[in-house]
Amino acid sequence: MSMVKVKGIKKSFGTLQVLKGIDFEIKSGEVVCIIGPSGSGKSTMLRCLNRLERITDGEIYIEDELMEYRKNDTDVKKISAAKLQNLCCDLGMVFQNFNLFPHLTVLDNLTIAPVIVRKEKETVVKKRAVDLLERVGLADKRDEYPVRLSGGQQQRVAIARALAMNPKIMLFDEPTSALDPELVGEVLSTMKKLANEGMTMIIVTHEIGFAREVADRVIFMDDGVICEEGTPEEVIINPQQERTKSFLNKIL
Amino acid sequence: MLTQTQMWAVFDGTIVTLKIALVAIVFGTLGGILVALGRLSKNKVANSASWFYIWFFRGTPMLLQLFMFYYAIPIVYLEITGSSFAMNAMICAFITYSLNSAAYMAEIIRAAIESIDHGQMEAAKALGMSYHQAMIRIIIPQTYKRLVAPVGNELIILLKDTSLVSTIALFDLLRTVKTMASATGDWVYYLYAAAIYLFLTTILQVLFDKTEVRLGVYEKR
Repeated sequence: MSMVKVKGIKKSFGTLQVLKGIDFEIKSGEVVCIIGPSGSGKSTMLRCLNRLERITDGEIYIEDELMEYRKNDTDVKKISAAKLQNLCCDLGMVFQNFNLFPHLTVLDNLTIAPVIVRKEKETVVKKRAVDLLERVGLADKRDEYPVRLSGGQQQRVAIARALAMNPKIMLFDEPTSALDPELVGEVLSTMKKLANEGMTMIIVTHEIGFAREVADRVIFMDDGVICEEGTPEEVIINPQQERTKSFLNKIL
Repeated sequence: MLTQTQMWAVFDGTIVTLKIALVAIVFGTLGGILVALGRLSKNKVANSASWFYIWFFRGTPMLLQLFMFYYAIPIVYLEITGSSFAMNAMICAFITYSLNSAAYMAEIIRAAIESIDHGQMEAAKALGMSYHQAMIRIIIPQTYKRLVAPVGNELIILLKDTSLVSTIALFDLLRTVKTMASATGDWVYYLYAAAIYLFLTTILQVLFDKTEVRLGVYEKR
């Protein structure tokens, strides 16, 4: 079954076209890393998947269900709000700047959405949240406010917060770019664990080593299009396209 | 020293001052929230109505607004209906100060909401929250601490600005002591008024300082 499928998606901000027609499909359990120079549209593409940005043209399917079908910045097909919310809840997202809710304790950061969005019982959610904090190694921080955590700890809480909604797909938008170098490892290893547990993951990253090790597939984007894709072996070790080669040369 | 009669007069004046300030604080805040929501709304009518409201009440002197409600409205009413009515000075003060304060509060509230990092709304939306859920549970609670200092400012200014009501025949604190001072030629009465104003604003200031610390608990590293 395909978890995510996009067809011909385009996105413009005013006259600036950021995505110029992108197609791909991601299967259940697949871990896909998206790499490419800044301004290539990787983050925008990811943000389009959960409608933080609305695409201008194209189709997006989540678990074979149509979530978005637009042409010339208008809906071709209207999707009911309830269905949209359901599909959106299947996508968890982790941001570059963590975006934890600073006024809530770590535990409340995890429980708020399941309780008010999924209408789950607080006691049930709390138990799951404690388990999740255990999994990311932060059980002892449950009553702290985010400001008292390091960047790496905040990002692990953010991962746990997204997982608390029981998503089927996790989106990572440069999850380690805002971290001090010594804190990158703990976040990457949390993500690796998640990948090994079979989570479907789409990761925009500059960590080429991580992509090589963990990704089933690597997509290289440049200038709003997919330039090259394949196994880490194919794209990172033996890139065929000139643009891929020159990008990798610059950062490796 | 004040005689007992004078003391009661000063007390009554203080009550007038406090009454107007309290009514304006309550209705100004409620009105301010409404107008701020209008300013933040994508609805064009609500948005421009709020814009004009703020434009008018911030853009004209408070004193002029008092005169307008006190003198002009009865005249306009007479022109239109042919019957006259006398404006109650106290009610007129309540209305003017509430409307005026709402304009300032609206801008304070709007600015506080817009100062919250955009990533907060995105994170809330990514977790499936609706715009309203995100506003009520995530964005607005984060504005409380940021509201304290500017709201404290506004309320202290409001309390002191109530002294303008002496122009519409109300005996507030300042007018009461002024009458005593001109009757006796002794300026010391003004000092009593200053002490009372300071006492009242001190209460506000201490209250707001404490509140700010309490609300900022989650920002302490």
